[in-house]
Amino acid sequence: MEIHLEGQTLLLFAERAAFWQEENALLIADPHWGKAATFRAGGIPVPAGTTTDAIRRLDALVKRTQAGRIFFLGDLLHAESGRSKTMFASLGRWRSENESIDVVLVRGNHDKRAGDPPGELRFNCVDAPYVIGPFVLAHYPLPSEQGYVLGGHVHPGVRIYGAGRQRERLPCFAFGSRVGILPAFGDFTGLGDVEPVEGTRIYAIADDEVVLVSNRY
Amino acid sequence: MSDLSRAEEWFRSHGWEAFDFQREVWTAYLAGESGLIHAATGTGKTLAAWWGPLLEYLHENSSSKVVPLRVLWITPLRALAADTAEALIAPVEDLGLRWSIETRTGDTTGAVRSRQSRRLPSALVTTPESLSLLLSRDRASEQFADLKVVVVDEWHELMGTKRGVQTQLALARLRGICPRLRTWGLSATIGNLEEAKTALLGRRPARSRIVRGEEPKTVIVDSLIPPVIERFPWAGHLGTQMVAQVVDAIEEGETSIVFTNTRSQTEIWYQAILETRPDWAGSIALHHGSLDRKRREWVEEGLRTARLKCVVATSSLDLGVDFSPVDRVLQIGSPKGIARLLQRAGRSGHRPGAQSRVTCVPTHTLELIEVAAARDGMESGAIESRYPVTRPLDVLAQHLVTIAAGEGFTPSQMLHEVRQTEAYGDLPDDEWEWTLGFISNGGAALEGYPEYSKVVPGDDGTWRVEDRTIARRHRMSIGTIVSDAHIGVQYLRGARLGTVEESFIARLNPGDRFVFAGTPLEFVRVRDMVAWVRRAPNVTGAIPRWMGSRLPLSGELAAALRARLGEAASGLFRGPEMKALEPILEVQRKWSRIPRPDEFLIERVKTREGFHLYFFPFEGRLVHEGLAALFAWRISRIKPITFSMSSNDYGFELLSPDEAPIEEAIAAGLLEPTNLADDIPASLNATEMAKRQFREIARVAGLVFPGFPHSGKSARQLQASSGLFFDVFMRYDTGNKLLSQAHREVLERQLERTRLGHTLLRISKSEAVITSPPRTPPLAFPLLVDRTRDRVSSEKLADRIRRMQRTLERAAG
Repeated sequence: MEIHLEGQTLLLFAERAAFWQEENALLIADPHWGKAATFRAGGIPVPAGTTTDAIRRLDALVKRTQAGRIFFLGDLLHAESGRSKTMFASLGRWRSENESIDVVLVRGNHDKRAGDPPGELRFNCVDAPYVIGPFVLAHYPLPSEQGYVLGGHVHPGVRIYGAGRQRERLPCFAFGSRVGILPAFGDFTGLGDVEPVEGTRIYAIADDEVVLVSNRY
Repeated sequence: MSDLSRAEEWFRSHGWEAFDFQREVWTAYLAGESGLIHAATGTGKTLAAWWGPLLEYLHENSSSKVVPLRVLWITPLRALAADTAEALIAPVEDLGLRWSIETRTGDTTGAVRSRQSRRLPSALVTTPESLSLLLSRDRASEQFADLKVVVVDEWHELMGTKRGVQTQLALARLRGICPRLRTWGLSATIGNLEEAKTALLGRRPARSRIVRGEEPKTVIVDSLIPPVIERFPWAGHLGTQMVAQVVDAIEEGETSIVFTNTRSQTEIWYQAILETRPDWAGSIALHHGSLDRKRREWVEEGLRTARLKCVVATSSLDLGVDFSPVDRVLQIGSPKGIARLLQRAGRSGHRPGAQSRVTCVPTHTLELIEVAAARDGMESGAIESRYPVTRPLDVLAQHLVTIAAGEGFTPSQMLHEVRQTEAYGDLPDDEWEWTLGFISNGGAALEGYPEYSKVVPGDDGTWRVEDRTIARRHRMSIGTIVSDAHIGVQYLRGARLGTVEESFIARLNPGDRFVFAGTPLEFVRVRDMVAWVRRAPNVTGAIPRWMGSRLPLSGELAAALRARLGEAASGLFRGPEMKALEPILEVQRKWSRIPRPDEFLIERVKTREGFHLYFFPFEGRLVHEGLAALFAWRISRIKPITFSMSSNDYGFELLSPDEAPIEEAIAAGLLEPTNLADDIPASLNATEMAKRQFREIARVAGLVFPGFPHSGKSARQLQASSGLFFDVFMRYDTGNKLLSQAHREVLERQLERTRLGHTLLRISKSEAVITSPPRTPPLAFPLLVDRTRDRVSSEKLADRIRRMQRTLERAAG
């Protein structure tokens, strides 16, 4: 799904990420890597695989878009107790195969406590806001004087009602007049609700498709 | 020959005579037997169970100063604990025994808790959750070593729930500690007492008996007949029209309880009564499970002392102590079940020479048939059964962690113990192994759950929880086995009003108004698991709709109802209710048919909205929802077609834009009870339903926690929704047996699959009668309207229904 925003072109992927064509950059919010491991360390059984799967999806997106940069819009890591060796090892393998890519982490609330990824991964970690072109990259999706904000944090979800009392709740992208919110990239993350604000375009992720669900809020 | 003289003396000193059934229980108890005592509330069951242990102690002639824990008394509601303890204390004080009698519930203060952790009282009144907590301590065996008996109060309430299973497991553990432990259950009369006894006593062969208590004098069931019978009734419509008659009935009595079926109805009726009689402000009150404990206690006290004229209540007042002044009980809406109506009637007439009486108030006129049917059922003794839950692995996992957090267990001995319970008597080895895995390494294949361990097998072969934080969090979550996520309702500055389901609050925006605890409130915000509110100036606004409003008509009541309709089919209208209904049923006969018990009525009606098919199995709403989905699916296999569905306790409707090939479908086996194992999952969004069911399982199995007050950020990092767990398991660990449990619970509990199968069997043996009425006949009308309700907003609904009623009245002439 291709959309235009502030004179720029964004491709929205069902893999829960956006690609900024002009900047040749992937935009990814809220991976929450190591969340399952955090739970396991806390005595709650969550099966392994979510983080590995996320790295696989990231790799596929990079190959498909040939992106030169990746911006993470916060909450890369979930918590300190989830900083597992296996996770950093697989991230390290991915990094060594993609050495030339410039990776920027705009820190979110979880990153403050979970800490930055290890230095050898060479993630450029910065505090929000990160202003680039017409966009303000941030974690919290709050309006800014400096430009159009792209953020995450809320794990946006949208309720869709069908015939026969069917209800679905789907992850989505939500673009308002001054702020755009990306879906959470992580698998084990859950959904918040997006506020039905006038003029917000909502693109739901229905399995492997991105669909414009509402223009008329 | 056992000596009962001390008990007999005590009874006589109070001017009473012991009942024969009480003597039977005492003798049996002293002979080492266990058992189940069943009778209505307030008939002396408590003293029957209590005096056995007292006599036993008196016969011992013990002179020790301190009497260690001898009696555990388990009650399903913590609100009942204090009253029970009071009843137990009376004879102990009269006899001057050195027994200490205390309660232990979620409400117990820290000081009492820490005293009890040093030494438990001689008799402890507690809830299943608090008992589990006691078992999670590392001195459990020592503390329970002298236990003689566990008395389980209101066992009929517990046995059909997961808390009942939790109780079974706790009992098995206690029997492991004290091999000669006796168990006595107190129960209302239910249809399957033998099964209730086995569930309570477990599979260990023990000498036991069922004792029937004193049954109360006859119970009178009557109804308030609406002055004008609407021939086209719809659910809820009569509601407030009946308030004047209800107020008259309350006025007749000294003290009344007005029972409703849901908490929202409680709020609505409280308001309605108050609006009719503003002068009753202060002398009427409401009572439901969501209210704050202090408010509930104040209301209960008001009933006991006759300070209150009337209390509007839900099932929260079904159980527990005597409210002697109560002489009038009203039931608003369908009684739903015979045992339930009996229980409610039994809340009145405890004064000498008085009779128990319940007056039913229909909320739609057709409910009058249910009243007549309930009376028939009572007369013929058709009392409902309660079915125990079998093999829930979430409860088992919780129990294992509980014990592991305390003294620990060895798997072989624990398996032996668990299999003594009725719930897990047939637990297969693979489910046991999986559950052990689930609490130790995740339960999946190698490396499925790296770095996870909750319970750790020690070198000595004992499995324990070693991490203190995990143990503490587990103890905090034990209490959550029943409750849906509830959050507190509290004034911005001041009093706590009670709790309400989170899902209700989630729909509110700041500034929205709602009615709770009889008070109009304005919602301000949610913080720290509390919905903060302020008083609102007026009464308009939503009434919280709590879960549990979907209790279906019981099988026994449904059968009695079909019989009454059968009488009407042959022109017999017995009793005031049926006579009042005669004009409605006459229209039904004229336009369609009144089904005989051996007929299955299907009505085919065409309206502007499309083609309606109405089916009338009269089996309760849950079964009808399942049947509606099943029939829709089976018909759609013959011809591509889209249905919208609605169901109530009498039947269900399939509406389609094109005509459905009903005759063809019947010929192709629409009504046959075959292939259900495949057809039911195929016809429903089974995954979606299982996901919803998983909410409870995830809580019980310790995957999700309620928000703990004062829990810091580190606890918040461990919070995820049950739906998220469900998705992750579905994707990364399909072998997780909690998933299959969710599917099983959907089939058995939400769809009542067993009953659904029996219903289809009955239908397939009946004669299918298809009528084509000119317009929607009275039996189908509530269904027509119910479905409409899902579509249009509530204000327009009333207008729309009035219009529809006028049209139908004209047509009926």
